[in-house]
Amino acid sequence: MKITFVKKILADGSPCRKCGDVETRLIESGQMDRIDEVLIADERDPDSPGMRLAADLEVARAPFFVVDDGGERKVWTVYFKFAKEVFGGSEGKASDAARDILDDNPDLDYV
Amino acid sequence: MAYDAQAAADRFEQADPRDILAHAVEGFDRIALSFSGAEDVVLVDMVADLGDKVQIFCLDTGRLHPETYRFIEKVRDHYGMDIELMFPDPEAVQTLVRDKGLFSFYRDGHQECCAIRKIEPLRRKLATVDAWITGQRRDQSPTRTAVPVAQNDRAFSAPGHPLVKFNPLANWTATQVWDYIRDYQVPFNELHERGFRSIGCEPCTRPVAPHEHERAGRWWWEEATQKECGLHITNIREADIGNARESA
Repeated sequence: MKITFVKKILADGSPCRKCGDVETRLIESGQMDRIDEVLIADERDPDSPGMRLAADLEVARAPFFVVDDGGERKVWTVYFKFAKEVFGGSEGKASDAARDILDDNPDLDYV
Repeated sequence: MAYDAQAAADRFEQADPRDILAHAVEGFDRIALSFSGAEDVVLVDMVADLGDKVQIFCLDTGRLHPETYRFIEKVRDHYGMDIELMFPDPEAVQTLVRDKGLFSFYRDGHQECCAIRKIEPLRRKLATVDAWITGQRRDQSPTRTAVPVAQNDRAFSAPGHPLVKFNPLANWTATQVWDYIRDYQVPFNELHERGFRSIGCEPCTRPVAPHEHERAGRWWWEEATQKECGLHITNIREADIGNARESA
């Protein structure tokens, strides 16, 4: 099984803050050791590896994770769901999970 | 058998909100209405005619306008209904305020605060029901033009716990909502009389001009690009996407 983490660089060259937050959580939880590959989706460069993978998998959000078990490739755009379903165990702090939900569903501002 | 939200969305696409609500209440024993303290009070008025099956709740972020708190109480008295107030986790709020102060959203964006004060309590509430009802309408903003009247809630569903979301006002306009409020003498939040069309937390809501979308009064200091986490995939050459799809 190969796990890929894709983080993005914004069109103005700055790093994506959400991607940084997720990376920090991966490191602090020790899960980063289980990530096989980190790709950059550079919005300034459509040929950057992360952008090409996003196009290939029709992913429109970042950060995202891809798990390739040799057959089907599965994509997660919500960190806590990825961590829970792929690594097992706790989904982490409730507030972090809530943030992931909001980031993945920006229109939740209706509540 | 699993509930077919798509079939319901098709069947009730142009239906009256009261018919959609009746269908929802008939189909689910554990169902809740999220009442924001704004013009979605019309839904409270409508479910009042459907018995006491629908649980009504508000997300009390601790930062609502005093007028909104008074209005929630007024609605509770007017309809004689229980309205459950969902509070954020005090430890999470305390940590946020201790680390970043009371107005970090002006600097860091609203998501962190909203996640703690709204989304986490909402998620906690939705874990106890099988369906919920919102006041979303297609005319509220350009991002809502495709809101269906019923849908599988992919944000809050969990393995083993599917959740259905009903948006009975999806095909109503603001004019229809306010006609209903007037015709049925439904109480409304006094902030609406002061130019507030969308009502949220006090620091994050302001009145809007007549030509503006009602959602323009929320988080106005944030650039549109900061409001979402989208990967600007339009930067990728169309041909590449086409090739990828063909080879998939």
